[in-house]
Amino acid sequence: MDTRSLVSVVDDDESVRESLPDLLRQLGFVTQAFSSAEAFLASDIVSETKCLILDIAMPGMSGPELQQELMRRRQEIPIVFITAQSDDTIRPRVIARGAVECLFKPFSEAALIDALNSALRMR
Amino acid sequence: MDARLESSAEAVTRMRDCLNDLVGIMALSAHWTRGDRDEIVSTLLDALLGTLRLAFVCVRLNDPEGGPSIEMMRVVEAGEGTDLAVATARLGLQGEIGIVVAGSQRRDFPAPTERLVLDVAASQATIGLQQKEVAERRRAVEALHERDRESRLIMDTIPGLVAILTPAGEVDGVNNELVEYCGQPLEDMKQWGTNGTVHFDDLPRVIQVFTQALTSGDPYDFEARIRRFDGAYRWFQVRGLPLRDKPARITRWYVLLTDIDDRKRAEAGLRQAYGHLAEAQRLSKTGSFITDLLADHRDWSEEAFRIFEFDPTTSITLQAIRGLVHPEDLPVYDAAYRRAIDGVGFDMTFRIITSAGNVKHLHAVGHVMEEIAGRPVFIGAIQDVTAGKVAEEALNRARSELAHVARVTTLSTLTASIAHEVNQPLSGIITNASTCLRMLDANPPNVDGARETARRTIRDGNRASEVITRLRALFSKKEFALESLDLNDAAREVIALSLSELQRNRVAVQSELSDDLPSITGDRVQLQQVVLNLLRNASDAMVGVDDRPRQLLIRTEREGGGHVRVTVRDAGVGIERQGMDKLFDAFYTTKSGGMGIGLSVSRSIVERHHGRLWVEPNEGPGATFAFSIPANLESITDAAGFMRTS
Repeated sequence: MDTRSLVSVVDDDESVRESLPDLLRQLGFVTQAFSSAEAFLASDIVSETKCLILDIAMPGMSGPELQQELMRRRQEIPIVFITAQSDDTIRPRVIARGAVECLFKPFSEAALIDALNSALRMR
Repeated sequence: MDARLESSAEAVTRMRDCLNDLVGIMALSAHWTRGDRDEIVSTLLDALLGTLRLAFVCVRLNDPEGGPSIEMMRVVEAGEGTDLAVATARLGLQGEIGIVVAGSQRRDFPAPTERLVLDVAASQATIGLQQKEVAERRRAVEALHERDRESRLIMDTIPGLVAILTPAGEVDGVNNELVEYCGQPLEDMKQWGTNGTVHFDDLPRVIQVFTQALTSGDPYDFEARIRRFDGAYRWFQVRGLPLRDKPARITRWYVLLTDIDDRKRAEAGLRQAYGHLAEAQRLSKTGSFITDLLADHRDWSEEAFRIFEFDPTTSITLQAIRGLVHPEDLPVYDAAYRRAIDGVGFDMTFRIITSAGNVKHLHAVGHVMEEIAGRPVFIGAIQDVTAGKVAEEALNRARSELAHVARVTTLSTLTASIAHEVNQPLSGIITNASTCLRMLDANPPNVDGARETARRTIRDGNRASEVITRLRALFSKKEFALESLDLNDAAREVIALSLSELQRNRVAVQSELSDDLPSITGDRVQLQQVVLNLLRNASDAMVGVDDRPRQLLIRTEREGGGHVRVTVRDAGVGIERQGMDKLFDAFYTTKSGGMGIGLSVSRSIVERHHGRLWVEPNEGPGATFAFSIPANLESITDAAGFMRTS
């Protein structure tokens, strides 16, 4: 695992933005958190991001909409979706569209590491 | 004097006496014509006894009508001898009036002079009797003419058309009215069978009845259309009566024609109206009735028979209806019946089971139309409301199924919402705990970092706990606690409690609380929940607003009609008109973190206070939520209403 890879986190939930980057740093990643899809797109690190941990339901542009937008821009960043909604139909939908994984909150550290490994292997 | 002289002198005397007698008899002429036949006969008898020396005289009179003859006799005191000489004289040339018989004890009776007196007296009596007969005949004829004149007068004055027919059926006479009606002379009327006087469609039937009556001699009575002078046909009732003479021969037919056209039209109108009514009753499945409960005398419409499925040829009795009433509805039926006997109207719904086994729901309404001999007579209607009832039951079933579906849907949506709300902090807890462990496992351990993540773990744990508390508060069935409260104070408390959160969200709060707000009656905590919800919504709506001040205005004011209003205005993302109704639906949300129940619950709280909650977009950015409730919730007796709206 290339622990120096940049992993970006996009989630409107503040506790995720606080906790997840810390854990990622502990795992050796470089990381940056955004509160919305628009903020991420507006940043200058889109092309440097090696993996995107992306919340599905957000005000404004949703996670899947950001996925579409990145595809449109041909920015093929591996995406690991995270969601607090326990809807079984979401996971197959987003994976069919090219997501690496879809984790349901709360997810374990091991599940996160597996997903990150899969994502970074793809590159 | 010699014998010859003596006898000729006697003969002269006899001749003189005879002449005197004849003169006397002729002088009686005044008597002959006076009085009735009996008097004339008496005169004859007296004259003969007075002039001739007779033992008896007798008259036999034949009855001119062929009845028994009458005999009158006078007898003089009988002498010694028994041999009688008899002479007769005829009354009338042929003796058709009668005969006179005179008898004497003298052998030479009648002497030629006596014969002459007898004949002359008989002739005189004949003349008298004949005159009497002629006078009687004349009187009879005059009486007949008088009767005819009267008949004619009656014919012309009775308000009807009259025709007189010969025994063969030929028109013999008509009254003026008939002439005026038909506008044709008698000669034309004789052709009634062919000239269109009787309507062509009625003619075969008329001729049949008419011919049959002429043959049988029975009175007849039929209805037919008869042409008026202007060509219009009107309905007449035609009645014919035969007039018979003594041997019961028909001498004429009297025919009375009565104009029944108006009646016919009225009947037709009535029939049509009745037809329409029957149709309306069929369509609406409504039968009508008029009934005298005690005498059980009634009048039920056709549809009523159909509803009860009774044979239309029988009569409906209340006992028969009672026999159909569903056992469960009998108490209701009997109670209404008992009250109805006391003259109380009824309006009830009950079920019947017809003889064919059909269950019907009936709605019966009746009120007293009049009282006859102290007994109420009811008029009313009975409607078959089965279809409506069945539909209602189906609707109720569908509604409860829908409610069930809604409950299930609500539950699953609720579960998802709760899961979402709880999963967010749980996620933080696990991630923080993982980070914490890694920091402690590091070499050297990052104790400060671990401490920070442990703190965050606690904070997220508290957040999860808050979610549960909030949910519990939201769904716990709290009693509606009414108290008198100052809405300004209640609002100030909520603002104070929310101020830190609002400030954190960089929301500027402006309050405009009215000075003359009346105190209101309501549930303080619930109303504060509504205000809190509106403040949070306003704040949330402005989270993404950076190009303008995040201005929040809360205002209280007195409204017309004894209402108070609370308005919360934000400068947030605003709302779209098409989504406005859905805003208040449970679980409808525009917020990713929301459960979509805040506004729904708020509205139900406001409605429990008999008020209303609404939203409108602002002229500029943002939206305004407001609710208005009556200041004096005087009688919240409608607890059931609360259950429905909550």
